[in-house]
Amino acid sequence: MNMEMLLYLMLGILVVLYLVWIWKLSFHSFLKWSEANQRANELLRSVLSSEQYDQLTRNGYLDIPSPSDPVCIYRVPRVQGLVKVIEQGRHKESLCLQAQEAVPDADHVLIHKLMIEANEQIYLQTANRLALVGSGDFLF
Amino acid sequence: MGMLRVISKRGDDRVQWNAQDAQSGDTEALAAIREAERIFAEERARGATAYRVEAGKPVERLEQFDRTAEQIIMVPKVVGG
Repeated sequence: MNMEMLLYLMLGILVVLYLVWIWKLSFHSFLKWSEANQRANELLRSVLSSEQYDQLTRNGYLDIPSPSDPVCIYRVPRVQGLVKVIEQGRHKESLCLQAQEAVPDADHVLIHKLMIEANEQIYLQTANRLALVGSGDFLF
Repeated sequence: MGMLRVISKRGDDRVQWNAQDAQSGDTEALAAIREAERIFAEERARGATAYRVEAGKPVERLEQFDRTAEQIIMVPKVVGG
């Protein structure tokens, strides 16, 4: 075995070790994120009524009635995204609000629910409001 | 039993205590309450908001730790997106 072959062999071993290390890191992160999602789902399920949880899993969103306005509901998506404000069945505006640290999707739904139900005014003051124009253009 | 749940990227971290045992002077229960109070104060200082969430009752925002609460959920600081 000459020097050049030995060099290639060592390089190959280093590449394989690096790939194994990357794979282990990714797999570990995936496991942790998966466990976090499971815990967040359990917490959300314990807080929602069975009807609310059914709506969330079936339709992909949770409707939260406004505590102050009987014709207004907040439609919170199951995955993180804009919350629709619906008044008398009409999409009036969208709200954007997010936690400063990354949290699982189910925790996001819970955060919206708690904020709306405990203090709607602070929720509306904190969220960025995107008013709809016509058939869906945004007016910032 | 009372429970403090802190929402984080790990899902949620939990601390449990027994308010009745604490009232009768049980040292373990008192230590659990002290730990929950410490976490509550620490998270509030970081901008978190606390809510009392109990079955059949309206959600209530908490400014102070309440050892009589069945469940307190702490939400990390939120901002407009």
